[in-house]
Amino acid sequence: MDNSLTITVKVFRFDPAADKSGRLEQFAVASAAPLSVMALLAKVRELDATFCCRTSTCFKGRCGSCLVRVNGKDAFGCTTLVKPGETVVIEPHSRYAVLRDVVVDFSRPLAAEGEGGQ
Amino acid sequence: MKITARHQTDVLVIGAGASGLRAALAAAGAGASVILTNKGPLARSGITLTAAGGMQAPLHPDDSAALFYDDIIACGCGLADGDLARTLAEDAADRVLETERYGVTFVRDAAGGYALGQFPGQSRPRNLFVRGGGIGLAAGLAKACRSHGGIKVIDDFLVTGLVPDTRGAAAGAVGLGLRSGELTLLAARAVVLATGGCQWLWATNDCPADATGDGIVYAHRAGAELVDMEMVLFYPSVLVWPPSLKGAFVHYEFLASDVLDGNIYDNAGRPVLPKPLPVRDEAMRLLARAIKDGRGGPHGGLLWYVGDSPKGAAAVAAKLDILQYNYIRAHGVDPATDRVEVAPGAHYLMGGIHIDPDCRTSVAGLFAAPECAGNFDGANRLAGNGLTATQVFGARAGLAASRRAAENGGAGPDPAAAEAEAARVAARLDKNGGGADLAALRDRLRAAVQEYAGVGRDAAGLARLARLAGETRAELAAARVPDTGVFNQRLIELIELENMAEIAGLVAGCALLRAETRGHHIRDDFPARDDDNWLRHTLVTRTSAGPLFATKPLRG
Repeated sequence: MDNSLTITVKVFRFDPAADKSGRLEQFAVASAAPLSVMALLAKVRELDATFCCRTSTCFKGRCGSCLVRVNGKDAFGCTTLVKPGETVVIEPHSRYAVLRDVVVDFSRPLAAEGEGGQ
Repeated sequence: MKITARHQTDVLVIGAGASGLRAALAAAGAGASVILTNKGPLARSGITLTAAGGMQAPLHPDDSAALFYDDIIACGCGLADGDLARTLAEDAADRVLETERYGVTFVRDAAGGYALGQFPGQSRPRNLFVRGGGIGLAAGLAKACRSHGGIKVIDDFLVTGLVPDTRGAAAGAVGLGLRSGELTLLAARAVVLATGGCQWLWATNDCPADATGDGIVYAHRAGAELVDMEMVLFYPSVLVWPPSLKGAFVHYEFLASDVLDGNIYDNAGRPVLPKPLPVRDEAMRLLARAIKDGRGGPHGGLLWYVGDSPKGAAAVAAKLDILQYNYIRAHGVDPATDRVEVAPGAHYLMGGIHIDPDCRTSVAGLFAAPECAGNFDGANRLAGNGLTATQVFGARAGLAASRRAAENGGAGPDPAAAEAEAARVAARLDKNGGGADLAALRDRLRAAVQEYAGVGRDAAGLARLARLAGETRAELAAARVPDTGVFNQRLIELIELENMAEIAGLVAGCALLRAETRGHHIRDDFPARDDDNWLRHTLVTRTSAGPLFATKPLRG
């Protein structure tokens, strides 16, 4: 596969009904253009419909619907850019309880802030 | 899957954008118990957050509610519901300033007054600016709702349908708790729909994916009258590329000679727009024509460009140093120097559930507040009317619903109707899924709505869209998704897509009926405005044989 046309994504998978802990699953997303983490997650969803992620956006980088953890750091998914050829790890935001995969429950902040969450 | 959770309240408000938040505060303020639901997380989803923050109110010393009303009617090409437009103009100042009580703040001028902008169509400076835009407005109102003892917020909750009492009045809703995976009955004495527009139906739009028009479809299924579903406001310059920026927009207004004096260019570098810059609907006609004539760029858009502005690079940089342009810059596109590929996109729904000035619909106990309710704008709307309308009609809906709840002894939801709605949702679940490729159906539908119900419509295209919407509904009827419990995103998307397919048929039917061009409804086969026949709303009602398209005289 042409490295310049692919983004390698390792996404956190967690099914609350079946899993005791999460795991990373790898996907190869074809893209010649850089993609935001949020757009990348939508592409993963196109490859695997069982993968879940938030899809709302304010187009300003402010509302925080897209909050996730990118390469170990909490970030806004909508304004964090990944280039073709790069590998990126996307996990749930560390400050909120996980519902499924990278979707968190914003009504349940975790006590330990920024400590990795799980 | 059966109903396994149940809540009871006086007033149920569905949708927690600026309208729903204000409705909840009004109802709770009048003493009603309130449940406020939102399909996404509160103040982190929905259309309100995308608003730039302009809010109209006649506060200028030379302004008045009467002048505001006249401007609404003129801008809307005479199609506004006069009673609603008058209500909007008369209540605007009080409701807009009232938001300050909830912690919302406005930009002030040097003298300490409200900074008032004058936008096209406004005969006086009338636009206040909310600090933080739509996000600032929603944040203030959401905080007030969260801290109000009478309001129970249930977010991450997708309502799937309304439930009547045994006499047909609205008595609650069934929905899916996304955090629990539970099918839930919300029993209420009065229901307010504040679910927003359906702009996500158009492949190019500047709204979040939440804008699937759910509440409009639920109202229609419950028997409520919808008006002017063809009246969608388009914005000329919505980004179509790169993929991460689809839906962001750059200002058409900045291209004016006295601002940055830019233009929108075709694939041969020729400017598409004349100077002085035409009004928005005329500009969109030219842009849509150029795209149809094959003059577009590689991704179907035209090229918005201010990089050669005679005002100089410093002026461009200063003008574009605002949040939405910094957002674009974060994606590697510099709108100050790069050509930005844009096309007209759906921006706001002017039609919707027909309400009276107390936000009553034609179904007893069912109230609605914009953007899902209309039509107080007509065929075009003034900048800044969107947010103001959320506060004016949100407050009225909440108050009227609380009165209805107090008067209504409460027969409660008809158990058979609640069970039927639950069964309808449960029937979509199958452990193996299958039956239809949801993503392919969605993309096909959205592309067709863009092509046939975008800027520039004709009878043949609209008939094709109506047919495709029907076919999509038929294919979706066979679709099944697994029951995954917590946050079943495939079930959410299936329900939303069913709503979109149904509403696409309603938009096509209304657009087909209105055989004239008025405001943003541009019929290539009927290019003239026809006041003799069409100073009327289009009207769609539900019959056992399907939607019935007719017209309704204007009020007021």
